[in-house]
Amino acid sequence: MLTSAELVWLMAAVAKGDQAAFERLYAATRAKLYGVALRILRRSDLADEVIQEAYLKIWHNAGSFDPKLATPITWMVAIARNRALDLVRKKGEASIEDEPAAMEAAADTPNPLARREMTEELKRLLACLGQLEEDRRRMVLLAYYSGLSREQLAAQFDAPANTIKTWLRRSLMQIRECLGS
Amino acid sequence: MTSMEEDKDGFAAEYVLGTLDAEERAQADALILVDAAFAALVKRWERRLGVLTTMVAAVEPPLPLWERIKSGLADAGQAGDLHLPEVAAPAAMPRTDAPSAEVIHMRQRMQRWRGFSAITWLAAACLVGIVLVREYKPDVLPSELRPHEPPVRVVTQVVEKPVEVVKEVVREVPAPRAAQLVAVFQKDEQSPAFLLTVDVDKRMVTVRPVAAERMADKTYQLWIAAQPGQPPRSLGLIGNDEFTQRAALSDYDPAVISNATYGISLEPPGGSPTGQPTGPVIHARLVQATP
Repeated sequence: MLTSAELVWLMAAVAKGDQAAFERLYAATRAKLYGVALRILRRSDLADEVIQEAYLKIWHNAGSFDPKLATPITWMVAIARNRALDLVRKKGEASIEDEPAAMEAAADTPNPLARREMTEELKRLLACLGQLEEDRRRMVLLAYYSGLSREQLAAQFDAPANTIKTWLRRSLMQIRECLGS
Repeated sequence: MTSMEEDKDGFAAEYVLGTLDAEERAQADALILVDAAFAALVKRWERRLGVLTTMVAAVEPPLPLWERIKSGLADAGQAGDLHLPEVAAPAAMPRTDAPSAEVIHMRQRMQRWRGFSAITWLAAACLVGIVLVREYKPDVLPSELRPHEPPVRVVTQVVEKPVEVVKEVVREVPAPRAAQLVAVFQKDEQSPAFLLTVDVDKRMVTVRPVAAERMADKTYQLWIAAQPGQPPRSLGLIGNDEFTQRAALSDYDPAVISNATYGISLEPPGGSPTGQPTGPVIHARLVQATP
């Protein structure tokens, strides 16, 4: 993985229409984006589709990337996640019941990093998540990583969808206060 | 933060977290286009939560994927190109020029909107804005832009008093089947915002207040002006929570629903006593856009 500064440089070149830079950007980020999409979609054919669309959008919108507002990887992941979430919501809410095994696999912390590999930002966020009640924390992580909707969380946590919404919002506001930014 | 801001930030947070349903996602996409403050909230949440992806295991995509992306680039041209097809803009919305990648003037439509100056209720509005997300012919899109579901057009126009179209921006957003038309009502970032979703097939409207002060002695009322020159008709009052009115549009055919102007006015409790908007008609921007 390239450093964030290298990715910013590549993004600038991509914004100018540099295809070679785009290929390098793809090589440096494809596995992360694919991992994110696959986790939400759970089907490689859908992940292929989403990643293809996401990179075309990245190519077209590279000029609107602002390094003051986001890191390149955050910006790119947001594009891929949004595509994946749009697709999974359009497909309806049935998918999770179809795949109980996938559900089991959707652990809250997918790939625990050694503490030294964590950025300060991640450590801060994890500390804030740690202040949430266990269920609330799992809910937030399942939603973020596995793309569960309120209805799916409602089934999983045996609570009405409206209650889930209230819990999610409270948890998110708590995270915001805790991060203080 | 006020409860209004809190609600908006909660909506932005859930959008980023991913827990909104398809219709709410379409509404949030539309709001991002017209409300810079909301877009900024979304960016902040992407930043806050985005670090979580460092813990997602990388998975190599299949090799042919790059070839498909690359051939998509060749078809679509270089970065910065217009995202809309060069060919065959729909007849009702001819492209006349493209001043920037995202802004397109549509004279024919503008003419139509100028026709609204005849409508008195619009004159009462300082600004009336609508974003329409409409189904768009997928077959005119280059293949790499062609989604599996028909994409959707967001039409936003800024209508000011005297009624005049300032600009139209054309974008496409992925839209769920459920939300064929989405309108965003917002005058400025400080004023209340409403999202209107119209299901053309079911003739159903849903209004969702995103950031709107609840006032004990006032109520918001939704209106439709089906044709230029015709007085608006009430589509009902907007409740404090999500407001759904089935069959509110049963008198209108799909073409009218798609092209009508919608307005929200501030009225006494129980709604307008005259059958016409009496209070200020809020908000406004009609844009057309593609992220």
